[in-house]
Amino acid sequence: MTWVHTWFGLVLGFVLMVCFFFGSLSVFDREIDRWAIPETRFDAQPMPSFDKVLLPALQQLEPDEVDYATNMPRLHDPAKGEMTPRTELPVDEYWAYVTHRDPVLAAGVGYGVPLAKNPEDHNHIHKNVTLDPRTGAVLPDDKLKIGSDWFYPMHYSLQLKWKNLGIWIVGLAALMMLAALVTGVIMHRKVFREFFTFRPWKRTQRASLDLHNLTGVVALPFHFFFAFTGLVIFASFYFLPVTSTILDPLHKQHEIHEAASTGLPHDAAGMPGAMGSVDAMVDEAKRRWAARDMAGEVGFLVMHHVGDANSYVSIYRAGSDRVALVGEGIHFKTSTGEVLSEDPPRTPVSEVNEFLTGLHLQHFEHWFLRWLYVLGGLLGAVCIATGFIFFVEKRKSQHAKSGSNGSRVVDSLAVTTVTGMVMAALGMLVVNRILPADMLGKADWEKAAFWTVWALSFVHAYVRSAPVAQGLFNPAWREQCWGVVVLSISAVLLNWATTGDHLVKTIFTDTYWPVAGVDLSLLACAIVSAWAALKLARRERGVSVSQKKTEKQPDSEAGGVAHA
Amino acid sequence: MNHASSRLSTQSVLVARIAAALLGGYAFTWGFASLSIAGLAALGVDFHEAETGVLMLAFLVFLCVFLWSFAHRSVAMLWAVLGGGGAAMTLAAWAIQQNMLS
Repeated sequence: MTWVHTWFGLVLGFVLMVCFFFGSLSVFDREIDRWAIPETRFDAQPMPSFDKVLLPALQQLEPDEVDYATNMPRLHDPAKGEMTPRTELPVDEYWAYVTHRDPVLAAGVGYGVPLAKNPEDHNHIHKNVTLDPRTGAVLPDDKLKIGSDWFYPMHYSLQLKWKNLGIWIVGLAALMMLAALVTGVIMHRKVFREFFTFRPWKRTQRASLDLHNLTGVVALPFHFFFAFTGLVIFASFYFLPVTSTILDPLHKQHEIHEAASTGLPHDAAGMPGAMGSVDAMVDEAKRRWAARDMAGEVGFLVMHHVGDANSYVSIYRAGSDRVALVGEGIHFKTSTGEVLSEDPPRTPVSEVNEFLTGLHLQHFEHWFLRWLYVLGGLLGAVCIATGFIFFVEKRKSQHAKSGSNGSRVVDSLAVTTVTGMVMAALGMLVVNRILPADMLGKADWEKAAFWTVWALSFVHAYVRSAPVAQGLFNPAWREQCWGVVVLSISAVLLNWATTGDHLVKTIFTDTYWPVAGVDLSLLACAIVSAWAALKLARRERGVSVSQKKTEKQPDSEAGGVAHA
Repeated sequence: MNHASSRLSTQSVLVARIAAALLGGYAFTWGFASLSIAGLAALGVDFHEAETGVLMLAFLVFLCVFLWSFAHRSVAMLWAVLGGGGAAMTLAAWAIQQNMLS
């Protein structure tokens, strides 16, 4: 079991570092979005009027060109007739989604595909936009939401989109996290004592193992829970799609039964239908939620079969006041506004599932709990990073003797996934503030900056790693800590210079916590890094002094190695 | 020579064990999930209920068989139970489904 813990932990630990670090950032993804796109620094808004704001905005949209070019030939059946030109596709679906932390609103249109190959399937060409909910104005979609569209997908897919490879690698890493936790407990039976054991004054190898055990044990339930629910969230789509493959016939049969029992029309009628006031339906939905003692705002709204006699509107409640992702959906007939059905009360199994996934996805408004998530995620990162350091410290003197390069490579990769990863994220924020807001292809430059900084940090770590092969510390750790300090402070200063939002303003005179929070976190990051760099410098000096001593007294060196 | 070949065979056993833990474990989990969902549906449990519940348990099953793969001595036995069991359960799930739809 020690073998499983060491080697699977090492290989997939690098992936897990990415998951834990970017997962921690994703807790505040919308706040990072505000920092990176200053035009959207206003307060979060409730769902605006559908009739007056959303509908006029959605009616102006056209199907996305890229989506049309890629998916239309795949969905359309040429044997049945000509392909419908892009701008003439019929609207089939409108939707809008808002969260309690997001001033901007995600909305979109699904366009139907006439003469489809499989008319039974959900054939849609899409257009998704970001709207200003105060005016309905469409915001330019070439601005990268660094928090929710870059850091957050990095957390679960590593941005490797080809064949969903990244999602599978992360899934494997999550399973190995579970295995590492179980094997870790088996390896160290004195779990209770390790809870209280941290001896930073001891040798790096001992101190890093202490910290590895301490963080592993303290946050054990947290880590097990997140790795496990991460797998559950993606289970039916990616990891175990049994119900859409081998059991698909049974699934389809069940869906037909289900549609019949809810009374919601599965298909369009093929006859035109009128559109009543959706705002009136929203009012009715809110009244019914209040009657259930769950008064709340709308989080998600979708209109199916737009313009058809069978059209209906589904309205879901924003769940930000509770952990479980519960929609309490109410469905209305679009033409008359009458209630067709209400989602039935949840069963115990789905209640458990919604609670678990809700606790992972944290859509709730509990700020203290959100910060605990960040803390837990960072403790996970510390646990994995100290695992790497222990691996290197345990082997480097052996490797130094046998001439092996192993601990050099592992140490460089550890630097890359600790300080290098932080620098990549910071570099992206710095470039975001340096490049002009209206620059063409700004998003691509930001992504390029992210990968470039990360790649350079590996090159730097490897080039500087020669001392590891002699049993010493890699100076890259200390140097990249200073890199983190410089980049963090630059990001805060550049935010001030380019937007005028300095901390005195965002905290005191014109309070705006999303931006103040990002700035304060950057400064905290700078302080921790500077402290780490100074500590590392002291330890490097200490080691080179003792190294000189042992060179003078070759006898004591053998004793040191035997102790390792 | 003898030493080198024994080392090679140790390594190939290790590779076979890792493959059994990951691929065999996945096959076994797949079979477990299919058979449990189909079986529960046949017993009258709501299909989505069965799906949600079983997919939560499935990863704990995978975790157990993964760890078992490194605890059990015989690699051939691992493959027989994990690969064979996975295939048998998948087949059984398919048979239950055919029976329910016909």
